[in-house]
Amino acid sequence: MENYLANLGVLICVYSILAITLNFIMGYAGIFSLAHAVFFGFGAYTGGFIALNYTSSIFVTLPAAMIVAAVLSLLLAIPTLRVRGEYFVAASLGLQILAVTLFSEWKWFTGGIGGLVGIPPVSIFGTEIFRPTSFVIVTLVALVVTIAIFHLLVHSNFGRSLRAIRDSESAAAAFGKNVPVIKTVSLAISAALAGMVGALYASYLAFINVESFMLDTSVLIMAMVIIGGTGTQLGPIVGAIVLLSLPSAITYLNFLPQSEIGAIQQIIYGAGMALLMLFRPGGIVGSGGK
Amino acid sequence: MRHFGRITAAAAFALAAPFAAPASAEDITIGGLFPFSGPNAVYGDVLSSGAKLAVKHINADKMLSGELSIAYEDTQALPQPAVVAMQKLVSVMDVPFTLSSFTGVSKAIAPIGGRNEVVMVNGGGVGPDLAELGEYFWNVIPLANLEVRASVPYAVQEMGKSKFALIYVDDPLGASILAEIESVLEEVGGELVSEMSVAPSAQQFSGLAAKVRSSGADAVYIASYGAQQVQIAKQLRDNGVDAQMISYSAYGVPDAMSLPENEGAIFTAQAVQLDSEDPVTKRFVEDYRTEFGEDPAPYNVNYYNATMLFAILAQALEEEGKEITGANLLAKRKEMGSFDLVGGNVSFLDNGTLLFPIDVKVIEGGAAKTLATVEIK
Amino acid sequence: MLALQLTLTGLQAGALYALTAVGFSLIFGSTRVFHFAHGATFALAAYLFYAVEAAGYGFVPGLLASFAGAIAFGLAIDWFIYRPIQRDEGSFFTVFVASFGIGIVVQNLIGMIFGRSFVTITSPLSRSREILDGVYVAPLAGIAFVVALICLVALGLFLRTTFTGKGLRALSDDPELVRVFGLNPRYLSAAAFAIGSALVVPAAVFTSMSSGLNPAIGHHVMLISLAATIVGGIGSIPGTMIAAFIFGLAENLSLLWFEPQWSEAVVFAILFAAIIARPSGLMGKSAAR
Repeated sequence: MENYLANLGVLICVYSILAITLNFIMGYAGIFSLAHAVFFGFGAYTGGFIALNYTSSIFVTLPAAMIVAAVLSLLLAIPTLRVRGEYFVAASLGLQILAVTLFSEWKWFTGGIGGLVGIPPVSIFGTEIFRPTSFVIVTLVALVVTIAIFHLLVHSNFGRSLRAIRDSESAAAAFGKNVPVIKTVSLAISAALAGMVGALYASYLAFINVESFMLDTSVLIMAMVIIGGTGTQLGPIVGAIVLLSLPSAITYLNFLPQSEIGAIQQIIYGAGMALLMLFRPGGIVGSGGK
Repeated sequence: MRHFGRITAAAAFALAAPFAAPASAEDITIGGLFPFSGPNAVYGDVLSSGAKLAVKHINADKMLSGELSIAYEDTQALPQPAVVAMQKLVSVMDVPFTLSSFTGVSKAIAPIGGRNEVVMVNGGGVGPDLAELGEYFWNVIPLANLEVRASVPYAVQEMGKSKFALIYVDDPLGASILAEIESVLEEVGGELVSEMSVAPSAQQFSGLAAKVRSSGADAVYIASYGAQQVQIAKQLRDNGVDAQMISYSAYGVPDAMSLPENEGAIFTAQAVQLDSEDPVTKRFVEDYRTEFGEDPAPYNVNYYNATMLFAILAQALEEEGKEITGANLLAKRKEMGSFDLVGGNVSFLDNGTLLFPIDVKVIEGGAAKTLATVEIK
Repeated sequence: MLALQLTLTGLQAGALYALTAVGFSLIFGSTRVFHFAHGATFALAAYLFYAVEAAGYGFVPGLLASFAGAIAFGLAIDWFIYRPIQRDEGSFFTVFVASFGIGIVVQNLIGMIFGRSFVTITSPLSRSREILDGVYVAPLAGIAFVVALICLVALGLFLRTTFTGKGLRALSDDPELVRVFGLNPRYLSAAAFAIGSALVVPAAVFTSMSSGLNPAIGHHVMLISLAATIVGGIGSIPGTMIAAFIFGLAENLSLLWFEPQWSEAVVFAILFAAIIARPSGLMGKSAAR
């Protein structure tokens, strides 16, 4: 029982981190990205690749994953951040789809569609950590660190500049803020942390393949942010908990026909998204309306 | 803080539920990991129906001291939901044994089963990497590369085909079929004139069909699965490809067999003599026909066998007064070695796979007819 | 010859993409709603046609059911979902998320009702005939192409000559001015949804007879529609149409040089490149900034 709950705990921490990082660029910088799973994926593959071929020390895999994800985000940001919001969404969508093909074909690095099997568990100072009950502590620490980083950023000068950009880009530029640089930096930070949690994810599951990093995942993360509440610290975590617990909670409702449970979960999830947007667009945590 | 109310309610629900159901101390539950939603949901019912029948027989025969039941969990045929489902089976329901399906799912749950000493049995996936997932992972289905060794020589020697085209999804399954076809064609004489890999999500194949046509192939091997393989077949025929179509056991599902364009296609599956006099097989076939109104397909056989295998092993353990744990089941399987299952008496190889003869079947009038049975070394 | 065959196949695909993409572009251009559920409209239309036809009622009732369903769905989602959200100052992405949610609901309902396996209407028209050496065309494809062109031309005339049509073009240029001139934006947006949704029907019907259906069929259609709208230029119907044909051709002609699994990537690489190089699209009026 503890393992089952700890396992859910790990997933909640992982997705909370993903939601928080996406929320940072969406809710604070106004950048709507449908490609978040790409950074998650690159971080996971980097961490997995290094663990399989070189070392599974957390002090190597995590930084490597963060650097790869951040560099990749620069490739996305530099050409596209000068265009307007809706176009960025479409560009990020394009990147997400391209990435899926890349993950499926780049066999040397990602194992192709078959994925990376048998990834060694992460090791901290020589101790291997793989039991759900121990790993959940690692992910909790990562979550706390992430929250702290973003809390500091949001309340700093940088954060104020971001909010200025979100509210009105032209005004911010008029005030001398270097808008493209600020947006690029925030995307890089967000991507780096998404990559970091990707490496943790890879070491925990011991097996990753492209199916975990497709458009569905990017949309799930975005839904967590929006349903939880953008622009708030607690919102993404609430969104992650709600959307992850939903499938598990439904499986306990024994009166539903077995073979339709998956479809019913998705229907609740979809209807939930639509209804929340109708009645409470600020999300669960956010204010009633934006 | 009203939002917290919602979360605690869900958490309370999740925590309380396992304690709600009454259970008798001797009743046994095993796991069933199948896709009941998502793009591969069509396989959920197909794969589990054989297991359901086995449970019925096992309980009717009172093979075990208590009632056997299967806890089905939806994996959506994806690795991450599968991991959550497997954790639930292992940590909450304490199963010693679970059925598994789909290669990606199996690879994801194998570490959990291995670490917790829970036996996992695959009766549906045929990727060759399934033979390498540790000793707690068993396969009761011959893996795809063996199937190629039956169908391709048949196509060359009995049907006179010499130029093969291969359409495959570029995962370990597809890659192994490609490698196997190349090596088999070298042995029996024939040429691979075209090989094209498709993305798992692709749905448009008219351009692909044009390339197959221009390659001059007289036989096309389709190594895909689910809805995609049926779309490939239809669009090949629609776009003027007259070549003989060949596939592997994934073709043994209703929507593939009932497609008019698949008339005359051949595919392989493990050999199951439906009209065999062997008592285990006979009972299975008759009851399956009665219960489900149609002939059993190889997948149904496999999950029946996998469930039956559990019962045989568990029964033996109970007779010796041993606890039914994964470790004991594994030891017992190694000790016993061979089993009377549907299809006859079969034995396990050391790597946990069963060797089965392979049937080459043809699709006629929406049903599969066996043309030949091949023993694979 | 292979090149010619692939070009023809590309044109067929392009014609069907053009229908759905233009529908999306009309809606997005006029109402600025990111109608991600457009793919669901397509799936709904296709399955309604399939259901009615397979139940034995024939082609025409199936077609009518498909039209009725698509238009009703488009109007309903506008009335019950998008309008209320926009009334409350919902942002662009609130609408998108709601739309996506509805899309998931529809996809799963279809899966529950019709099953998740592959279904198709078998028709001799989908079998291709050899018209030139090594070049095959199916009668169905030819019909689809002609029908698509007729629909697109009719749409063009509609937008240019009728009152509602001109109103829609005005709406896409400047919503505020529309109100000033006394046109009713709500009526116009309803018209946009009705027409945009109706346009998917021919494409849906042809798809159910040729490549077949499964509940996830709306996805790919939706993505191409979005890509074509952006590459063609938001607010430009002709641009979207051309872009849709470009995508159809690119998807097929890429087979001359690349392996099939790269086809989808080719399409999105074009999208990505277009956004970087020419964000306003081929013929777009709206500037990127």
